[in-house]
Amino acid sequence: MQRNSRSSRILAGALALPIIGALIAGCSSTGSTDSTARSKEPVTGGTMVYASGDAEPSCLDPHVGGNYPQALVASQYLESLFTKDANGQIIPWLAESTEVSKDGLTRTIKLRDGITFTDGTKLTAEAIKANIKHLKDPNTASSTGYLAVGKVVSIDVKDELTAVLKLSAPDNALLESLSMPWTAIESPKALERDQATNCAAPVGTGPFKVKSWEHQKAVNLVRNEDYVLPVANDERASSTAYLDGITWRFIPEAATRYAALQSGEVDVIDNAQPDTISSAADAGLGHLDAPRPGSSNRIELNSSKAPFNDVKVREAFIRAVDANTGVSALFFGTAKRSNSLLSSVEPLAYSDESLFTTDTAKANQLLDEAGWSERDAEGYRVKDGKRLSLRFPVSTNQSVPAEQSLFEQFQAQAKAVGFEVKIDLLDLSSWYGALAKHEYNLVSAPYTKVGPSVLRVLYHSDSTVPAPSGYFANNAQVKDEKLDKLLTEAEETEDEAQRASLYEQAQKIVLEGYYVLPLYDQQNHFLYGKNVHGVGTTTAVSSPVYFDTFLDQ
Amino acid sequence: MVLWLVATAIFIAIRLIPGDPAEAIMGGPGSQASAEALAAARAEYALDQPVLAQYLLYLGKLITLDFGTSYSLKQPVTQVMGEVLPNTLWLSLLALAAAWLMALCFAAAATRSNRFGSWLGNLLEIIAAAVPHFWLGAVLIMLFSSALGWLPAVDNGSAQGLVLPVLTLALPLAGFLTQLMRDSLAEAMGSQFALAARARGESRLKLFWRHGLRHAALPALSLTGWAFSSLLSGAVVVEAIFARPGLGRSLLSAVLARDIPMVTGIALFSALVYILVMALAEGIERIINPAGDQR
Amino acid sequence: MSRTAKILSVLVVALWLLMAVAPSLLAPSDPLAINPTQAFQKPGLAHFFGTDESGRDIYTRVIHGAGDSLSIGLAATALGTGLAIVLGTVAALSPRWLDEIILRVLEALYAIPSLLMALLIIAFTGPGVGPAIVAVGLSTAPGYARLVRSQIRSLKNSEMLEAATVLGRGTWLKVKNHLVPNALKPLLALVTLGIGQAVIWAAALSFLGLGTPPPAPEWGAMLSAGRTYLHLAWWMSLFPGLAIVAVAVSATVIGRALGGKVKSL
Repeated sequence: MQRNSRSSRILAGALALPIIGALIAGCSSTGSTDSTARSKEPVTGGTMVYASGDAEPSCLDPHVGGNYPQALVASQYLESLFTKDANGQIIPWLAESTEVSKDGLTRTIKLRDGITFTDGTKLTAEAIKANIKHLKDPNTASSTGYLAVGKVVSIDVKDELTAVLKLSAPDNALLESLSMPWTAIESPKALERDQATNCAAPVGTGPFKVKSWEHQKAVNLVRNEDYVLPVANDERASSTAYLDGITWRFIPEAATRYAALQSGEVDVIDNAQPDTISSAADAGLGHLDAPRPGSSNRIELNSSKAPFNDVKVREAFIRAVDANTGVSALFFGTAKRSNSLLSSVEPLAYSDESLFTTDTAKANQLLDEAGWSERDAEGYRVKDGKRLSLRFPVSTNQSVPAEQSLFEQFQAQAKAVGFEVKIDLLDLSSWYGALAKHEYNLVSAPYTKVGPSVLRVLYHSDSTVPAPSGYFANNAQVKDEKLDKLLTEAEETEDEAQRASLYEQAQKIVLEGYYVLPLYDQQNHFLYGKNVHGVGTTTAVSSPVYFDTFLDQ
Repeated sequence: MVLWLVATAIFIAIRLIPGDPAEAIMGGPGSQASAEALAAARAEYALDQPVLAQYLLYLGKLITLDFGTSYSLKQPVTQVMGEVLPNTLWLSLLALAAAWLMALCFAAAATRSNRFGSWLGNLLEIIAAAVPHFWLGAVLIMLFSSALGWLPAVDNGSAQGLVLPVLTLALPLAGFLTQLMRDSLAEAMGSQFALAARARGESRLKLFWRHGLRHAALPALSLTGWAFSSLLSGAVVVEAIFARPGLGRSLLSAVLARDIPMVTGIALFSALVYILVMALAEGIERIINPAGDQR
Repeated sequence: MSRTAKILSVLVVALWLLMAVAPSLLAPSDPLAINPTQAFQKPGLAHFFGTDESGRDIYTRVIHGAGDSLSIGLAATALGTGLAIVLGTVAALSPRWLDEIILRVLEALYAIPSLLMALLIIAFTGPGVGPAIVAVGLSTAPGYARLVRSQIRSLKNSEMLEAATVLGRGTWLKVKNHLVPNALKPLLALVTLGIGQAVIWAAALSFLGLGTPPPAPEWGAMLSAGRTYLHLAWWMSLFPGLAIVAVAVSATVIGRALGGKVKSL
């Protein structure tokens, strides 16, 4: 079976290059048009330089915390029990097979034999136990992984390769949860080390391993010579990666990052700016478009306090702004407008365009109906002496410049119907602080997770209860009993059709309640130089793995 | 003495932040620090003890160069600083040297040129001193990296990678230094001593080397401490633009993450550097100007 | 410094003040008016300086931005000057031990460069216009204070003062009518030199994302936004940058014309 059993998103018509297996097997992935790639034989050797636009993670172990920059780098040296195939189906990866009991409370996972970690430890069921324990341990301070295995109560090791997980409630999203880098499997021996040491060089089973981490300079990865592909690919000449290593750098300045790619100083960049993506083909650069799963990028309206506690005011705001024009202009056509709560890679995404068409007349009418009919001297609406004012904290870490400009456009459009929107550009820490203290009316907080179960994380009323740190994921403060029931049932049923129907009803409730203004998929664009080939394989969370990648020598 | 004041100021500042000081140390209200981490911070900084005890503990730690652990990087502050410090120092020293070189050349050229050249030079110096680092850096990258492709935009470990950042840092300082030197130079070259020497037939250039240079250099030297500090300041922006690891970049991320231990460490360190550089500059001044005459 | 340069600078400064106080005279349109379909227009007749990513006219934004940028620079300079006068006067007139303490405090402030000081303050207070003003003000104060102190000390023993003492004028009156006014003249020159730097540091803070919030057309923020699109729309960065340089240059020229010697900093 080919390596492209992991999901891959290739932009049709772009210079994205096919996976090497395609050369031999003759069945290419969709949309590949680059003729030079077809004639290229993979060559071993060379160190690829990768430049990320995200902030350097504070820990290379994605169990700790759990954000996307960590997932991007960890995808090279860690692997998960499950992954997604080209059709978006969850398939076993480090696991060989899995089954669940009739009542849904016991999940058995059998591992593949013959896989070792880079520190020599064999992959056994003990590893599963140790990893899940690590995720649930408060000292690890895991956010994402912790939530993902929330329903796992205990793990028994039945034999060397079999683990039995006991759950507190049926969880049909468990396999999806175990396909993410944030629940990846690390060597139990390595996990026993103190956190600082493990953060500097986590040990996994992936095609690369961490050689060193020079802070603020680069993470140095080298080829794992003992790598074993969990699913054998007989057409592949060697079983190890072609690249000798990867130098993983951090260049937060978008213009500098792109300049470095143009001059050939770096080979691959992420967080590519929209205008550079649209001109990539002309510039001779390759492009990989891999939207992240989970939620779409959206603006959430805080329904727990005035003025958005009134659904009319929420709809008025949404009708006042023109997201379609803004998105197409600022993103140069590289981002498609989404009207769904879920990413377009989620098969169960539901959308209804009619809910979100711009209609300033309707917006004005709704505000008048809601009692905000008077205006003050500056043109903003007032009611009972209070101004129609909205606070919008924006994190410069989460929102790219184009998105910040989009919000500024909304600010101007909302002003025209009488809303005062105050945008606060904040650093990540202050942003979390503002959210925790409910000092916001509007916020954009993307959430990456595999599968529609992300809807429960984001819209169930339980998610309005803050964790000890003050963090909660339900920023729209949706507290709807009917919705809660739908979401809980959807995670427990084994019937696929029922699951789809329940999730559709749930999405309808949130969309029609105007709690959220969907914008576009979580953008995940990568640009690479002419000398780079074999880019396209991604993990379940759409982070690229450079196993098949090779450089011109 | 200066260090003590700075350290005390920071101590007071931390106490002034509304809310729990342990939280402040751990990165502010939004840091999501766990209860254990906060408890550990309280123990480490003795926050349950009376203020005076805390203060003495704080000073004691500083003397032993224990700045605590960086919250955002999860490493001891001294370790992080040790890793990135050489880069910034190197960059600043090179920039200082480059600025001095440029300033001396321009100042020397200024003495020889005519009215128009002098006026033009004057204008250029002032413009150079007024250019903001962030603008200059971006323009240089556009010009020499993207358009001409002569020099790399980011640090790739080579000497070439140093050219643009050093230039960006050095130019404004050079403009400033040139103005400084030019004033003193004009005074020196117009003095009785100089006129007498010219009357004796000494060439302008020779006069410059023997006499003018000393006078031109003195005011610039006495400001070296300040100049070096302002280079450290500029390094924050330059390191960000050129993606170079360094103290400036660390400080920026520490400020954005409200990582107080890191910020404290860097602040005290720059004060220390200032003092050292001042001492050094004074030493050189005394060598060049042993008579200690007024400039 | 030629007369032409001086006159030119005065004109430029007058222009800046006009821009800060009554921008609509020079640029009647709304600096915040977006027009997404007109994004990234090159400079031309319709838009003198081109448009930005939301179709806003850059010429209008630069003119209106003068107020934001200059006010931060001026406020910071005012704060620094005020502080300097107080500290300098007290230091010059007080007994030796107090003088020494104040000198050390000034030295401590001087040891930390402006941007670092700003970042330090922001680390504690969070970003915003207020901290920016305080930070830049605090870092400029020591240089001015030293000047005030040395001026007053030399005037302390002047004849004018002796005459006033003989005539029986009180200490406060002496300070008010003689010392301070005479110390101020060289200070004025220095301060003018400093305004340019203050504007640059304020813009630097906005550039780093630590200053005025959007959609305000502050020059530093405009430069920051322009950097992302540098290769696509160079005019977004060029004109705000030129504005900053121009202010700093004219301030310097005037400052030097007033007799300010750079080395007194």
